[in-house]
Amino acid sequence: MGSVDVFARSNGGLAMDRLSTGSHFHANGDEQRTNGSLDAASAVIAELAQDTTLKRHKLTALPLEVGARVLCRWRDDKYHPVRVIERRKLTGPDEYQYYVHYTEFNRRLDEWVKLDQLEMESLEQEGEEKADDKAGSLKMTRHQKRKIDETHVEEGHEDFDAASLREHEEFTKVKNISKIELGKYEIDTWYFSPFPPEYSNCDKLFFCEFCLNFLKRKEQLTRHMRKCTYKHPPGDEIYRSGSLSMFEVDGRKNKIYGQNLCYLAKLFLDHKTLYYDVDFFLFYILCECDDRGCHMVGYFSKEKHSEEGYNLACILTLPPYQRKGYGKFLISFSYELSKKEMKVGTPERPLSDLGLLSYRGYWTRVLLDIIKKHRGNLSIKELSDMTAIKTEDVISTLQSLELIQYRKGQHVICADPKLLERHLKAAGKGGLEVDPTKLIWTPFKEQ
Amino acid sequence: MSRPFRPRPLDIHKKLPIVKSVKDLDIDEAAAVSRASLHCNAIAYSEIEPVAPPTTKRKAGEIPTPQFLIVDSYERDYLRTFVQPSSYVRGRGARSETSEFVEYDLDNEDDDWLQQFNREKTILPHESFEWLVYKLELLDYKARERVGAIPLFGMPVHVLLQQEAAFEVLRSQVSRPAVFSAVFDYWKAKRAKWQKPVLRRLQPPPPVNDTNPFNVFRPREKVHRPHTRRMQRRENDVLSFEKLRQVRCNLEQSRTLLGMLQKREEKKRELLDIEANLQRTRIMLKHDTELDDELVMEENMIASTPLPRKSSGFLNGHLPMHPPGEVTPPCNDLDQGEYAKCTWRRRRAPFQARSRPLKRVTNVDSMEPGFLFVKPLDPEKLASAGIVPPLDPPCSNGTDDAPVPSYRLHGRIGRGGRIIFDRWNPLTRTPIDCSSNLSDLPRKAITSTRSHPPPPRLCVEKKTSDAQIATGNDDSLNNLRIS
Repeated sequence: MGSVDVFARSNGGLAMDRLSTGSHFHANGDEQRTNGSLDAASAVIAELAQDTTLKRHKLTALPLEVGARVLCRWRDDKYHPVRVIERRKLTGPDEYQYYVHYTEFNRRLDEWVKLDQLEMESLEQEGEEKADDKAGSLKMTRHQKRKIDETHVEEGHEDFDAASLREHEEFTKVKNISKIELGKYEIDTWYFSPFPPEYSNCDKLFFCEFCLNFLKRKEQLTRHMRKCTYKHPPGDEIYRSGSLSMFEVDGRKNKIYGQNLCYLAKLFLDHKTLYYDVDFFLFYILCECDDRGCHMVGYFSKEKHSEEGYNLACILTLPPYQRKGYGKFLISFSYELSKKEMKVGTPERPLSDLGLLSYRGYWTRVLLDIIKKHRGNLSIKELSDMTAIKTEDVISTLQSLELIQYRKGQHVICADPKLLERHLKAAGKGGLEVDPTKLIWTPFKEQ
Repeated sequence: MSRPFRPRPLDIHKKLPIVKSVKDLDIDEAAAVSRASLHCNAIAYSEIEPVAPPTTKRKAGEIPTPQFLIVDSYERDYLRTFVQPSSYVRGRGARSETSEFVEYDLDNEDDDWLQQFNREKTILPHESFEWLVYKLELLDYKARERVGAIPLFGMPVHVLLQQEAAFEVLRSQVSRPAVFSAVFDYWKAKRAKWQKPVLRRLQPPPPVNDTNPFNVFRPREKVHRPHTRRMQRRENDVLSFEKLRQVRCNLEQSRTLLGMLQKREEKKRELLDIEANLQRTRIMLKHDTELDDELVMEENMIASTPLPRKSSGFLNGHLPMHPPGEVTPPCNDLDQGEYAKCTWRRRRAPFQARSRPLKRVTNVDSMEPGFLFVKPLDPEKLASAGIVPPLDPPCSNGTDDAPVPSYRLHGRIGRGGRIIFDRWNPLTRTPIDCSSNLSDLPRKAITSTRSHPPPPRLCVEKKTSDAQIATGNDDSLNNLRIS
């Protein structure tokens, strides 16, 4: 609940772009892989893929084909159904590693596993069906097919059309970096991030915790730390409360920092795109400060000028700090900024699963607190003005809680104390509070 | 029980009553409405929460526990050197602008090369190597800028920096040229392999129209969105084309119209100029009226009398009023047939005569207004009439070439038929010394102004019967007297 993972497209038109280029991408898919744009393992797979048709009739179980469904032991020591997404050859003959997707879980938990984690009894080969599909003979009924498609589409992706989603998954299907070291923590990554090609074949990256430069070896990081003068993000501190500080970094002034941050964030955000440069964004970085410096906890980014009235583009709490209320703090902070701007705001759509949960919780708490205390009649617009929450969000929140009711031919807001308490409890704790008096900030103006 | 009705859309500006108890609600109805109004707002709603209860249930077990480890060496790697200032931290400029921070960090390849290069000794420390590569990158970038070669994404970016040039610049910092040269070669080889700058900041960004998802951080072109709704709606279709064509047509028409207006105004101005000239000329010619009258008279005389026109003794003071070159003589203006319609000219009678004043002008004698029809004095007749010119300077008519006497008189017929002998030209302030022939006199003593006092003159008045006789004998004199 505390983790926030808002995926966001940088612009509204991107979905269209994806749609139109979807087929193009697939046509180029193999070519790109052989070009080495993906990691080396993919290149191997691409070669092997050509043999697929030959091996089709052998029905040998090993090595597993891409698309095979099998049970796999997860870190909870239980077996879960997985689908093989990719495989790569290890040193030994017939020794393979498989990149599997746990069909019950979000893509963020996809990982490389060895054969001994797999329960081979449960194997169902899907490769054949796939090959037949390609040949054009439809063995499956339409119903079966839809079922597969439905199970294939995962939650949190509903806002994408099928083509762009497939493209997205194709391009991000295998994580390139599986671990990072950032300051005190070594963190497992969740998603693919399009690092420069020089970094494509390394498993772990070392980030400088202050300037976010990333390096391949620990010694390099150590050397870097000796010369790096930063102890906090390279921007203005706009909020400080206790050990918490918020920094505002202008993407134009600190381009490299902004880009590093995006590379890092993409490792934990599925649908973030790094399509456009960081010039047009401001980054708000939440830090916990101690005598070693200001350590990044999470951040959100915001367009300098949003035509659609977005007050937040991407938001992330780093995994070690998740479930501690920082995500709600960030959301709350974004609305505090909107209040200072005298604007209403809304997060860029679509929201991811975790992002939606956090936002829904925030809206519920803020709105219900007002409704609980309010005397007299209240319009949706007034609620929006008080909270800087867009009216559409206010309506959807109240309606989903069934608090907007109809009585004697007119809408009323239902504020039964018991009902409100129940909803507030379900919405969870408020997390860390933002103290608006400690925010020293003027809205961005282009010089 | 359940009446079919449509829920009203929710008005965001309308004040909604807050109901404090669920019991106050008409539950049946409310439930129905709430469901219906949900459908009403289905678009916004489904975007937010598609199928709320099942997904949350599924998610509950799925939200992952974040996986992370604590790095053991952290406490050693990061020093407790940070002191938080009491005021909010203000940002510094970007790194590239400030001081001597070496942006480049050695990568694996560099590490390996350096290790081989050093071979257990420390010929070249990491820091210096890093610094050198960083400086080389910057110098190469500057060299490229100087040439004006803009690197393009995907195109190989070659090294433009010359080793000698680089060494020149970095000489003060480089202790051993051999080491420098080794680093330069290594760097150049690395660049040749990478085909792009090593420093990420200097690498060209992908082009705007690139769609490869592996390429990141495109520059975003400035979006010039039209501000009005009408302009936003314009599309690239036949209708818009038609509209634009119409606009073009209108514009062309207005251009023609304006061109014609301009022509009209030019004509107007010409006319005005002419009118002004006319007025000016008229004012100048106002002083001509006397002359004109005389002129008219003269013309009449010419027409009516057989007498030859005598220009001698005709005095004209007008000319000085026309400074040459400033105002064109009226006759010139009038010659332009274009402006014939002006009333001025119509009033002015015979128009060929206009050229005459000029001729007369040359015969000016300022001494006295002349008379129109005078004959030169005939010395024989005078002699026969017993009129003798003053003796002192003997006046001999027709003897021009004789040595000029200091004082000579010559005669003419003055007002009332008197015979006048002038001996002083008031304009030149000289004695009259020209020929005895009166017609010749003015040629030599041309006057320029009329403002002179009346000339002193020696006037021999002979109102004699002789003169009477003479006039009696002479038709011309007769006529003169009449006029």
